[in-house]
Parts: sequence; C-alpha cells; structure tokens
Amino acid sequence: MQTVVNDVEIRGVYKQIGKNVILNGIDLQVKQGELLTLLGPSGCGKTSTLNVIAGFLDIDKGEVFIKGKKVTHIPPYKRGLGMVFQTYSLFPHMTVYENLDFGLSLRKVPKEERKKRIEQALDLVKMVGLENRYPRQLSGGQRQRVAIARALVVQPMLLLLDEPLSNLDAKLRYELRAEIKRLQKEVGVTTIFVTHDQEEALSLSDRIVVMNKGIIEQVGTPTEIYEHPCTEFVFQFIGKSNQLEGKVKTVDGRMVCIELEEGVQVLVESKNMMGPERSYSIGDEVKLYIRPEKLTIQEQESEPEIFYYNKYNASIVQMNYLGSAWEIELLLFGKRVQVLQAFVKSDWKIGAEVTVGWNPSDMMIVKK
Amino acid sequence: MEPVRYDDRQKIVRLSTEIVTARRKRNWRKYIYCGLLLFPLVALIFGFFVIPMLYILYLSFIETKGETNAFYSIGNYVHFFTDSYYLHSLWLTIKISLYTVVVSLLLGYPVALTMAKCSPRVRGLLTLLVASPLLISVVVRNFGWYLLLLPNGTVHQLLISLGITTSPPKLLFSEIGVVIGLSNAYLPFMILSIATSLYNIDPSLEKAAAILGAGPLRSFWSVTLPLSLPGIVSGVVLVFSMSMSAYVTPALMGGANVPMLPVVAYDQIINLLRWTYGSAISYILLGITLIMVTIFTRMMEKGRYREVFR
Ligand SMILES: Nc1ncnc2c1ncn2[C@@H]1O[C@H](COP(=O)(O)OP(=O)(O)OP(=O)(O)O)[C@@H](O)[C@H]1O
Ligand SMILES: [Mg+2]
Repeated sequence: MQTVVNDVEIRGVYKQIGKNVILNGIDLQVKQGELLTLLGPSGCGKTSTLNVIAGFLDIDKGEVFIKGKKVTHIPPYKRGLGMVFQTYSLFPHMTVYENLDFGLSLRKVPKEERKKRIEQALDLVKMVGLENRYPRQLSGGQRQRVAIARALVVQPMLLLLDEPLSNLDAKLRYELRAEIKRLQKEVGVTTIFVTHDQEEALSLSDRIVVMNKGIIEQVGTPTEIYEHPCTEFVFQFIGKSNQLEGKVKTVDGRMVCIELEEGVQVLVESKNMMGPERSYSIGDEVKLYIRPEKLTIQEQESEPEIFYYNKYNASIVQMNYLGSAWEIELLLFGKRVQVLQAFVKSDWKIGAEVTVGWNPSDMMIVKK
Repeated sequence: MEPVRYDDRQKIVRLSTEIVTARRKRNWRKYIYCGLLLFPLVALIFGFFVIPMLYILYLSFIETKGETNAFYSIGNYVHFFTDSYYLHSLWLTIKISLYTVVVSLLLGYPVALTMAKCSPRVRGLLTLLVASPLLISVVVRNFGWYLLLLPNGTVHQLLISLGITTSPPKLLFSEIGVVIGLSNAYLPFMILSIATSLYNIDPSLEKAAAILGAGPLRSFWSVTLPLSLPGIVSGVVLVFSMSMSAYVTPALMGGANVPMLPVVAYDQIINLLRWTYGSAISYILLGITLIMVTIFTRMMEKGRYREVFR
C-alpha cells in the first residue's frame, strides 16, 4: 500500500561511460514538496544523477518516474521540469523579461497571463525593475536570481538546482541560500539541490543524500546525517573529526569498551556502530571517531562540572581563535586531537595540563 | 618603529625617482628593440603595398586623351558610372559574390554544426578535411572543375543519365560555373568562422532551452543560430570580399561570358594598357566592397541581436 506519492522515484540506475562506472545502482525517492540535497565530493555523480532526472543522460539500466509516470526514455523538453545551472545559463541575447518569457511562450500561455506571471516571478526573487536588462548588465547574484525565476515561472513539476551558488562569494552565497529556502517553502515546489558544500546541505535541506563514487552512502535528515552517520565516509565527509584506534575489550548490549593502549579504556554506545559489519567480538581492531565540539575541556583538579564516562588528562598544544569559538589542539594518548570550545579560561595556555571528557553516545565506532 | 628622519625621506624620494627613470629608460630600449624587429615587415609593406596603392590612387585621377594629352580629372570615375557595360559588370560582380556567400553559408553551416557537436577527435579530422582544399593551388583546383563542368563533361553526363534533365544548363563559362568555383574555394573560411563561434556557445544554454520545453529545432532557431551570428557575419564578410576581388576563378570558369570587375580591370591594364582607367576600376571595386561590408556589419550589430556581438 502506498500512502505518500513520491514526486520522483529512481530505481536501480546504472550508467557507465567507457570503463568509468558513473552511477552504480542509484535508488532514490523524493517526496512531494520536500527539498532534497545531493551531497558528495567532486566527481561522485551528483550532476549525473540530476541529469538522469532531467533527461540529459541516457542510462544503461534502471527506471525513472516523475509523479508516478515513467519518463526513462522521454526527452528533457517533454518532462516539464525547471533547472538552474551552475553557470547561470541565461540566454545572453535576451533581456531578463525575454529569458523568463521563453518557457512560457513555448507553453502557449496567453500574453496577458505571461506578463502577470513574469512580474510575480521577478517579485519573488526581488528583481522587479530590471526586466529590460541583458544578463551581461547584471551582477552574479542577480543573474542567479533571474535563473531561479526563469525556472520557477513555468511552474515546473520539479525544480533541479545544480550547485547554483558555487560561483558566488561567501556572503552572497549565505544570503541566497536563505532565500532559496524561503522561496522553496513559499512556492512549495519539490526541489533537488546539488552541492558539495556540507554546511549548505545541512542548513537548507529537508533530507540529504550523501553520495560517493556513484553510490548512495546514506539518506537522512540533516541531524541524522550529522549525528548518526551510517558509514565512515559520511562521518568524515561531514564536519570535522578526530580519530582514535584501539581493540575491543568487552561488549555488552549497551556499551562497547575499547582499550586504546595498556590501561586506557574508553566507552562507546553500541548503537553508534558504523559500516556494514556491526557485530563485534573481543580483540577486534576498531577505529573511533568524535567531533571536536563533542569534547569538553575541564580544568584539572577543579570541582566536577559535568560527569563524563570518558575523562582523561591531556595537554594543550595549540590554540586558535576563530571568533565565535576557540579551536584547541590537545595531545591525548600521544595523538593530536581538536576541541571546539565556546570559551577558554585564563590559565589555559599552550603546555597547560587539562582534563578532557566526552559522552559514550557522542563517539562513533567502526571496524578496521 | 622609529620615525622616518627628514634626510631619510629625501633619500627615499631620490631613490624612487631613480627607479622611475630607470624604468623609463628600459621602456625606451624595449621600444627600440620592437621597432628593429618590426622594421623589415613594415618596410616591405610600406614599399610594396602602401606606396603602390597610393600611386594607383594617383593614377586613377589622371585622364588621357589621345597619345600625349594627360590631365587631372575625375573623368575615369564619371566614365565608369555612365557606361552601362561597366555598371553591368559591377552588378554582376556583386550578384555573383552574393550567390557565393549564400551557397557557402547554406553548405557550410551544417558542416560547422557537425564539427561543434562531435567528439574532439572527429572534430580534428573534420577540421583537416575542411581545410584541405586550401592546400591545393587555385589554378589546379579550377582546372579540375573545368574538366568536370565541360559541355558534355562528367557533370552533364551524370545529370542526363540520372534522368534529371535532358538539356543540362551551361556550366562552364557561365555564372553558375563561377559560383561553383568560388564557393568551393571559400567554403573553408565560412565553415571555420562559423564553427569557431559555435564552439564558444556555452553547452548548458542548449540544456536550459531544452528543460524550458524547447525541442531541437526551436532550440536551434532561438539559441544556437542567434549566438552563432558573429561567426556568420565574419564568414559572410570574408567570403564576400574575397569573391568581389577574385580574379583567377572568374577568368578561368567564366571567361569572356562573365566579366567580373577584377577581370575587367586586369584587361584594361594589361591588354588595353589603359592604366589610369584600370586604376579607377580597382578603387571603385575596393570602395563598393568596403561600403557593403560596413553597411552589413553595422546592420547586424545594431539589429535585434546586438547583444551577441559584445
Ligand atoms: N561525458 C563524460 N564522459 C566520461 N566521464 C564522465 C562524463 N561526464 C561525467 N563523467 C565522470 O562521471 C563522474 C561523475 O560526474 P558528475 O559530473 O556527476 O560529478 P559531480 O558529483 O557532479 O562532481 P562535481 O561536484 O565536480 O560537479 C566523474 O568521475 C566524471 O569524471
Ligand atoms: Mg557537478
């Protein structure tokens, strides 16, 4: 029984160019009205996946459905989608108005309504008054707004965005990011957004698809992806990470105890296991991961502030001021470990001895 | 940091002026070197092109009457524009050049489009093929056409045996023959300039057109064609001005039946020894070509698609 109609459904998509396997069995569902992000390193197949949905890439195996209709072999111009490209791709010989009118005139919309819809779309992206400019006469941010308006004005079934912000400077990127999110919710159009910027993905998406080398590593909400990554790749790709190594000492239902070196043990919650193999036995070699902001520095010998299961002595090696926080590098078990602290105490200096603690629930574990 | 003392400041000023003058000196030296390197070519062009051109311009304003009587006048130009033979020849030259432009545009565009769409390897091969006619001398190429287009020659026999016509049109020593010869000679220029502008079109523009609902034809008409206009314009200008001034092909393929202006000018100068009149014809040809080319490019750059030319 199907209760939720998926706007897009991709089944077992496989694509090979020459000897290069570009997409190796992609299965994906996009729900109605959601903003889904494809995230992954360069060359992992994000654009290719988008091109499969748009119809620009013929696939070797698999099927593509849009709104329940099979479109695997339907050309792009019959799919009724909207797309924004990385390079804006506005028609240079047409004014802003003509660019927006292009898709509408092809759909044989009456002239009066076209005018009204173009005005609405330009209003939506805050570009009213620039109708008669040519793309050359616009700034990068303005061009990208027009490109978004051009995609939206035809009221597409689906909006595809391929790294639309990557050619803009950091501040503009931040502004437009918020605007895309607002627009998407306002219009309610199902959207697939491609990016290799994890911050962009986390802040923007309803769900994130993390891709790597032509396969999907994990699909989940931003918090699921960040807090409960399924694989080592996802953990390392998103956010910063510290890595430790050790051997399994004891396993029970809730906790795994790892011996890092003679006499040094850490506890990890067993639900934090990553990777394909999730049964552990004593003596297994494992890798442990923890994010810098999950570690807390406490002064040695001070009154206990918060109780941590994992609590060890370390020394400060380096301190970097980031404005909103401090990045502190510690020497812990002979390894360099990064900690993110919102504040520092006056006697934390390079060389100072401190205590660092963290919860077993914040550490991830994977078999070597 | 210590404050800068007064005499230190003076020293700094002195030093910086020295640096500037040194730089200027070096610049002068650079200009001299460049001048020396350019000198041979500049001298050659000046001596063998600019001066003769000016001399021809001077000659064109001399009118001769009888054996000895020569005086300055614009009589040569008046003569040209009042004699129907020469006006007809001018019209013929323009007409044949326009035909050549149209034929090479229609034949060339699809080839350029293919070159723009195919893989880099095939593109390299096609470029070589397209340019290959340029490797053969004009005279040799024209004699080839000569043999093919002879009355009752290969082309005629082909037309008859295919049942297309029983009395094929005259090809050699006719306007058709000249247009065939010129189009063949100048097609590479048309193809290569269109292809160059097609290469410069961002491929994602066609994708954008497609996703907005434009099929291949509409996408070509509204996006590819207008954006390739700069290439079309430069191809048209090249082929037109080369056709206007072509001598060998009209002489061999048209003969006396197709008196295009360069042939007429040659005839006046070499055979009839009317140097001054021939000079005037040359300048009229040059002037008309320049005017037509200017009007054409202005029209294109001011028209609907002026944005494409920036
Ligand atoms: N036309 C092609 N021929 C051969 N290989 C290709 C072609 N197009 C893409 N690829 C390969 O397919 C893989 C995926 O490409 P894709 O463009 O989907 O990556 P991406 O995730 O969008 O990367 P980026 O973040 O750099 O845009 C890459 O390894 C690329 O080299
Ligand atoms: Mg990409």
